[in-house]
Amino acid sequence: MEMEVLQFKDLKPVPDVIHSHGVDQHNATIIIDNGSYQCRVGWLNQREPLLIFRNLIAKPRKERSKKDITENSPVLQPQLQVGNDITNIEAVRFQLKTQFDRNVVTHFEAQEHLFDYTFTHLGIDTEKCVAHSVVITEPFLNPNSSRQLMSELLFECYGVPSLAYGIDGIYSYHFAQSKSEDNGLIVSLGYHTVHVIPVLNNKTSFVNTRRINTGGSHIISFLHRILQLKYPAHANAITLSRAEELLHTICAVAIDYKEELNRWTDPDYYENNIKRIQLPYSTVTTTTLTFEQQKERKRELAKRLAEINARKREERLAEDEEKLNNLMAIQELLEIDEDCEEIDQLLTDNQIRNVEDLHKNIAALNVKIEKTKEKIVATASNEDIVVDEIPAKQTKLNKMVFENEKAMHVYIQNAKKLRQDILTKKSARKQRRQDMAKRRTAAGQERMRIISQLARKEKGNDDFGLRDEDWDIYKTISREGGDSDSDAENDKLLELEEIIRIHEPSDVDDTLKPGESHQLHIGIERYRAAELLFKPYMMGSPEAGLMEVIGYVLSLFTPEEQLLLAGNVVLTGGLANLPGLKERIQTDLISIRPFKSHSEVNIISNPSLAAWYGTRKWARSSEFKRNLFTRAQYDEYGSEYFKVHMASNLYVPMPKGHAMDVCE
Amino acid sequence: MSGELIKNDTRPVFKATTFQHTSKSNNKKRAWKSLKQIISTERSLQWPEDYVHYSSINAPPTFKPAEKFSDLSGLPAPYTDPQTRLRFANKEEYATLIGLPMDITAGYLALRGASSIVG
Repeated sequence: MEMEVLQFKDLKPVPDVIHSHGVDQHNATIIIDNGSYQCRVGWLNQREPLLIFRNLIAKPRKERSKKDITENSPVLQPQLQVGNDITNIEAVRFQLKTQFDRNVVTHFEAQEHLFDYTFTHLGIDTEKCVAHSVVITEPFLNPNSSRQLMSELLFECYGVPSLAYGIDGIYSYHFAQSKSEDNGLIVSLGYHTVHVIPVLNNKTSFVNTRRINTGGSHIISFLHRILQLKYPAHANAITLSRAEELLHTICAVAIDYKEELNRWTDPDYYENNIKRIQLPYSTVTTTTLTFEQQKERKRELAKRLAEINARKREERLAEDEEKLNNLMAIQELLEIDEDCEEIDQLLTDNQIRNVEDLHKNIAALNVKIEKTKEKIVATASNEDIVVDEIPAKQTKLNKMVFENEKAMHVYIQNAKKLRQDILTKKSARKQRRQDMAKRRTAAGQERMRIISQLARKEKGNDDFGLRDEDWDIYKTISREGGDSDSDAENDKLLELEEIIRIHEPSDVDDTLKPGESHQLHIGIERYRAAELLFKPYMMGSPEAGLMEVIGYVLSLFTPEEQLLLAGNVVLTGGLANLPGLKERIQTDLISIRPFKSHSEVNIISNPSLAAWYGTRKWARSSEFKRNLFTRAQYDEYGSEYFKVHMASNLYVPMPKGHAMDVCE
Repeated sequence: MSGELIKNDTRPVFKATTFQHTSKSNNKKRAWKSLKQIISTERSLQWPEDYVHYSSINAPPTFKPAEKFSDLSGLPAPYTDPQTRLRFANKEEYATLIGLPMDITAGYLALRGASSIVG
């Protein structure tokens, strides 16, 4: 059966244009959902966010050796890339930086770069200030120091007139739903964390909220690693971006994980449900040259070299002969007339001092010409031998004829056995090389033991080297293990394979289609990656999983309150898009709730953008203006100050006398 | 400071020209506080009794025993290879497992967070 093979899209971000800053936006508020995965930015009076980009910068590292050059000509330095400027994220993977540490902004220099990007692309061009109020989301229980630095940046660097903070998940709950209930349990699924937030009578219960420090990024890196380990040969082609793409395209949550695993043990189910994904590969098969081809190539090279040499020799011969002719002519002239001035002139032209020298030269040239001629003859006959040799060998193989079927069978079995022997020897050597290279293997330790023993030999009774076998010890401890894959062995292997192929054509043949070796087969991994949300211990985290935490949070309330919360569980955040997540939580919730008690789970519409929509809707409400705090208030009440509202954190100023040192 | 130079060249017009992060002003070399440092400072302060801060809402540790899954396939794994400490589900997996080079087995263990010698 022909299976569908999926392709990676490898989508690249499109660089943002610098939007024009129209009259419409005059004094309009800027809405920023500052998430640890993406930042979404837009205007209050527009329905959709204008900019959506990864909260990332790629900071090129300064090269030490080029320090002097860059100081004089800063243009040469690679540019800092921000957000959607980073079109090829894998190319700069090791230079990526984000302002986030987990879900909290801690690196405000990076945040500054990202704000530069944000405001520039919004088209803001006012001198020395961003003359728009800003509403920005922050994490649940954002530490005061982080908020302090954020306010400082926005007020003092960008000259924002007024500001408001709110929590992304709570904005989604209250304002992104067509009708929000007074009571509910928010499950906010983020890139680094998952929050389970109970809301009773429209009030956030901070004390009973719990945060799981496992999120989308962990699922992605988990999937990335299991695939890399499953396909070590393709480790470089399996990138984090591709793992992310897999999470967005084929990953799902199993409704019953145990049952799902059971299904996969059935080979038929496996065959019918496996996802085949093609990694890019090149059809040029230069690397798969057979020994035969390599040999052929070598021979051709040698032949060409021989040809070049022959041509050079002939050229030299012609040159020498011409010179000889010249000299002979002079000699003839000499014989006719000894004191001719012409002769002196000719001699100096040919760089000869006197008549004696002339005779010597002629003799030398004669010898040289003779030798060159001899060589030419010799190489010509040699070449013939080389060319003749090869076809003879090939015909020998083809002409093998057997008396009967049985003899042929025995012959082939023998050839196969020999081939297998060589292969086993080769793989044993390979294994040995690998073991030797590592310290903790038995072979490696044995080697170290011998080396230390050799070094320890005391003076006086050192009889090392008296017997020839003593020297064999160096063969044992060499990393090559004494002998290596020899050419003769390779030749033999080639010959045996040739024999087997001639007589049993189907045996050695590889029927692999092109690119099939570059396919990822993804089965259980589809569910295994997302299961991390429910089983953080799969990645070594001691924390409880999502369902256990939901159960735990519910247990902190009275049975009546529990009923209200379980009756309205709302999923938000990009991960809520995972197929099966809602059903899984629903099923598990029923199993932990009392028999026949009401429970309901819903996904917010458009979970990735819900926080932005919610924030915008809040900013359009009548209470918005009251909840902005201004630069004047910031100056008066201190940098920690902010206004508390329905979707915000609580304002608890830092205890007096403990002014926090914001920097180490 | 070539980095500074570039920044000044392309400094957007809307930014204040003299702004400096307060935490950065004294020493440029100082790194930003990590979240871990911020939390530990926050915890050391004398907060009002009912105050909830970042680290107080961490999820509780799991009270359910961790199920054992094969490191290679993810299937339920009743066996552990004593040599590599890898878990496996059946004999076919064991056959692949014994042929794995050490960096792969170490990678599987590290992924599961079981690479420490004590664990």
